[in-house]
Amino acid sequence: MDNQFIFKYSWETFPKKWVHKKERSEHGNRFDTNTDYLFQLLCFLKLHTYTRVQVLIDICGVDYPSRKRRFEVVYNLLSTRYNSRIRVQTSADEVTRISSVVSLFPSAGWSEREVWDMFGVSFINHPDLRRILTDYGFEGHPLRKDFPLSGYVEVRYDDPEKRVVSEPIEMTQEFRYFDFASPWEQRSDG
Amino acid sequence: MAQEHAHSSAVERLLNCEVPLRAQYIRVSFREITRISNHSLASTTHAMDVGASTPSLWAFEEREKLLEFHERVPGARMHASFIRPGGVAQDLPLGLCRDIDSSTQQFASRIDESEEMSTGNRIWKQRLVDIGTVTAQQAKDWGFSGVMLRGPGVCWDSRRAAPYDVHDQSDPDVPVGTRGDRYDRYCIRIEEMRQSVRIIVQCPNQMPSGMIKADDRKLCPPSRCRMKLSMESLIHHFEPYTEGFSVPAPSTYTAVEAPKGEFGVFLVSNGSNRPYRRKIRAPGSAHSQGLDSMSKHHMPADVVTIIGTQDIVSGEVDR
Repeated sequence: MDNQFIFKYSWETFPKKWVHKKERSEHGNRFDTNTDYLFQLLCFLKLHTYTRVQVLIDICGVDYPSRKRRFEVVYNLLSTRYNSRIRVQTSADEVTRISSVVSLFPSAGWSEREVWDMFGVSFINHPDLRRILTDYGFEGHPLRKDFPLSGYVEVRYDDPEKRVVSEPIEMTQEFRYFDFASPWEQRSDG
Repeated sequence: MAQEHAHSSAVERLLNCEVPLRAQYIRVSFREITRISNHSLASTTHAMDVGASTPSLWAFEEREKLLEFHERVPGARMHASFIRPGGVAQDLPLGLCRDIDSSTQQFASRIDESEEMSTGNRIWKQRLVDIGTVTAQQAKDWGFSGVMLRGPGVCWDSRRAAPYDVHDQSDPDVPVGTRGDRYDRYCIRIEEMRQSVRIIVQCPNQMPSGMIKADDRKLCPPSRCRMKLSMESLIHHFEPYTEGFSVPAPSTYTAVEAPKGEFGVFLVSNGSNRPYRRKIRAPGSAHSQGLDSMSKHHMPADVVTIIGTQDIVSGEVDR
């Protein structure tokens, strides 16, 4: 059973409405699905005998601000039984909530928290959806493309108050963006 | 270096770039050197958490010798930016293979000495056997990888399952545990060090001479002496170091078998010279998530040592 088997088998077996796009390439096989069918699809992939995708490696988010559903949440999966990797992608916007897969894959717990913290995509039925990487009291979702690189606040130790205080950022010079991309090079939109 | 390798592999996969054979052998031998130095740090600091302070002192001496090899090739002991997309940064200096060979010959007896001190030790066994046990299903559910997954008996090693570079030539044995407790994981790490020594011994013998970077000048800059002589080489040096190279549009998730587990890079490119999104999947973050379930029904003293056996480095958990 090689890398293509479970991809092909699952495409032939599950209802076609679950997946609206599939891609098969040497860069990795992937299914694009709706948030409505995400849980069913992952459940199928995990539990079905000929797919047995039991390891959720990672969940990550990507922000495409030009799209209507700007966030793409990517689930990277691994089947140790059939030695295959597969990727399931779904799209959401700022208010769409995605059903959490923690009940299927406990490793999703922290990964979903990270997607929430970094992008603001919330998950239904997550047992503990709170910030994980940002500071206590942090506002904003840092990995969104409209969040500035330097952030909005900076912290420093304040001697009179004898504690660390958080203040709006003070930039001593304007942010310099070095863009060396050549204007003659072809670029495709992300 | 395993982390550099993951990122370079992801970029090469998007570019469909072929890495020359000599570079692959160099990468494999340095990856295995990194594996030994990681396991000697991990097992022995774990031992220090348990209470045994001597193994870490002995292992750090061995690590010094390995870090010296790191330093001789790319110039830095730890953050060697050596493995790059397309190959490696520089060729091995003269005499390095001979020195690696003589170092590995005595390294196996160092492993034996450390093992003699801990593996059969009654106190060590009392602290480790049946502590932090994970079943195979739990390990897969929690997203464990590497030694944490092989401990309960899941025979999964990315070097064997999806061989990259020349791992299929060297054919190491993959040690797998039976009970999934800390003692098994400790023994697996020791055995992996021995297998890494085996690979390191084979690599210089099988390594061909040849190029150490891909021939594509748009990707890999030329050597400095060529740069100073030819105009095209100067341009080919200037371009990657300022603008970088453009990577075509799709996305990929590439994982390597880092010493701590599966280290993966999810790279999304928009066709320009900078990644649109690069997410690093660190094994430590998945392992530390499982700490809660692993430490149930154990004592507080075991929590510290479970963290040690998971081989967690906070830097990769936080990213």
